[in-house]
Amino acid sequence: MKSAAQLKFGEKVTIKNVDDSHPSSRRIIEIGFTPGQEIELVNKSTFNDPLAFSIRGTLIALRRNEADCIKVE
Amino acid sequence: MNLTKTINYPLITLIGPPNSGKTTLFNHLSGSSHKTVNYPGATVEYSVGKFQEKYELKAQIIDSPGIVSLISHSPDEEVAINSLFSNEKFGKSDLVIVTVDSSQLSRHLLLVKQLSECNFNMIIALTMIDILNRKGFDVDEKKLGNLFGCDAVKIEGRTGIGIKELILKIDENLKSNNGKPEKRINLINNNHDALIETFKQIEQIENEILLPAKQSSELPNVYEANKQLKMLVDIGKKAECHKIDTRTLKIDKILLHPTWGLAIFFLVMGLIFTSIFWLAEPLISLVDNFFGLISNETLKLLGYNWLGDLIANGLISGTGAILVFVPQIIILFLILGTLEDTGYLARGAMLIDKPLSKIGLNGKSFVPMLSGFACAIPAILATRTIPNRRERLLTIFIIPLMSCSARLPVYALLLAFLLPPESAWLGGFLLAAIYLFGTLSSIIIASIVNKFKNKFLKANDNSSFILELPAYRAPKFRVVMNNARASTFTYLKKAGPVIFILSLVLWLLTTFPNVNPQVNLAGFSEEQSLTVIKAERLSTSYAADLGKLLQPAMAPLGLDWRVGVALISAFAAREVFVSSLALIFKVTSYENTLQNSIVSAMRQAKINGSDKHLFTTSTVTGLIIFFIFAMQCLSTIAVSKKESGGWRIPIFQIIIFSSIAYISAFAVVNVLRLFGIN
Repeated sequence: MKSAAQLKFGEKVTIKNVDDSHPSSRRIIEIGFTPGQEIELVNKSTFNDPLAFSIRGTLIALRRNEADCIKVE
Repeated sequence: MNLTKTINYPLITLIGPPNSGKTTLFNHLSGSSHKTVNYPGATVEYSVGKFQEKYELKAQIIDSPGIVSLISHSPDEEVAINSLFSNEKFGKSDLVIVTVDSSQLSRHLLLVKQLSECNFNMIIALTMIDILNRKGFDVDEKKLGNLFGCDAVKIEGRTGIGIKELILKIDENLKSNNGKPEKRINLINNNHDALIETFKQIEQIENEILLPAKQSSELPNVYEANKQLKMLVDIGKKAECHKIDTRTLKIDKILLHPTWGLAIFFLVMGLIFTSIFWLAEPLISLVDNFFGLISNETLKLLGYNWLGDLIANGLISGTGAILVFVPQIIILFLILGTLEDTGYLARGAMLIDKPLSKIGLNGKSFVPMLSGFACAIPAILATRTIPNRRERLLTIFIIPLMSCSARLPVYALLLAFLLPPESAWLGGFLLAAIYLFGTLSSIIIASIVNKFKNKFLKANDNSSFILELPAYRAPKFRVVMNNARASTFTYLKKAGPVIFILSLVLWLLTTFPNVNPQVNLAGFSEEQSLTVIKAERLSTSYAADLGKLLQPAMAPLGLDWRVGVALISAFAAREVFVSSLALIFKVTSYENTLQNSIVSAMRQAKINGSDKHLFTTSTVTGLIIFFIFAMQCLSTIAVSKKESGGWRIPIFQIIIFSSIAYISAFAVVNVLRLFGIN
């Protein structure tokens, strides 16, 4: 399944689920990444990590490996 | 602060997610009356204040670090949450005010929902209403209140509209709630599915309370926008409300550019440092000269006896030694606070996260490291925001290598010795080189320590970087000022007493036991006699006895015990090195500045009993190198012990940094001499 880490700039997708096994998964959900939400990759830092996504009207920066546990449709 | 006087006042805790306007509200409520206090048993800071008198409400209010949820993720969150359930110092709060950014309802209501589940007595303060209005929406706060069975009030942080109503609600709440202690329960169900279910409920609530903005004369454009929106409101309203500020997106296109972002970041940092030195330098010499002046005047007034000497050279100079860093600390924190308030600091952390994670640090290490250039103490406290323990310990470990402001007067003096007066510009250049060298060394040391992390740092948990990038906005001067003031007070409280006491100890050691030495003063003028007496007193003092023990250690560096005494006294604060040199090398008459007088005294100083110069290009360069590395600050050692939770880290810091300092100074002195530079 495709993850948020594989998105291209400006690509809008819907979150399918968040991988429970990742240690950061709880905080990722708490900050608003829940199934059904639309996200978009807005910025990449130099070296392409971390990534900034738009979610629920704000921008959240995540490491690539953390974005990887957000599975999208 | 006087706790006994206010202990019977009701206690209100202010909480909210990061960037929810919590601190702005706190400043509205408490004015500037608040004080910064540490959480009991921890050094996370929070502010405690009383309501401004004009509100006629007798209550204490605590501001706490921002939290996303009631389940902690980092040490600062943990302390904030524990204190929410029961603050050890102030007890249980009577009321919790939770701030919610109304343009972020679907995220910020999570905390409200959790507080409600835990049965807290709360009032919801809806902030950033203006931003929501600009998006063409309004919020039905009565409905929101009904849904959670509490009061909800709209607040406009910028103008203060809504504060009066909030005060009214607080007053009503406190009166009706008297003697009815709520039963707080811990969150029972916090697995992922429950969280996702909670979010679904929140989205439902958001749908119910979000309304199209009413026509308002203040916002003429909104009505037009609403006409078009009205049809969409039911189906697409959330989508509209969840649009990101287009200005922020445009600015980020440049500042977070994949290629240029990091370059711009380094440029910004470079500019900050240069401006700190430009701005702080005149202020530092102002403070320095001011204390020099009153010290001299006091001495004249009280006469040249031991009491006058104690007050002038012990007490007044000791106070000056503390206050001389204040300008630089204030300026650094003003600039840092401004950057934070505009939203750029979060982006800086994001840009630097990857490079820092390569050496075992975190993007969130960046702000503490930056603060380290002012003072290691607030910097070490700031590491609390790093969730990963190992990264936090490593950040604490390398912070003393950031050239703090205490080292600036030392470098200034030593560079003034090395350089002819006509090439002052070169001094600025070399100073920048020293800072750069210190920073690069810290990176190298961090990466070496990171290689041995399992043996050394003894903590292994998930490395994480999750950070909200707030919308860009103009900084609020009052908030920035308050924060700078709080950080400066932290420094004064932590470092002040240590520096002050050590200055006194140093005075005692250099004055006793031979307070009134018998010397033949025939043929000396009054001023010369004083110098001769002082010199005799010092050379027969306890400090001299102690210093002579250091002779074997100082000789390989081409120095003698007198510099050793100055180095030991620098443990109070590094810049005390300068004033002890003045004392030890008998600088009594001021040339135009103290620094010039010390430099001339240094040029004349000879190694004991020989006619070889003590201070030469090689030995002074060695001293500079020594100061870059040496862990020479008792306050830092104390804070490092407390924050890292044991002696392990501070002991490693002392051993490793002092060895590097000594060995590299030794190497530099001897290599220079090998090349014929004496």
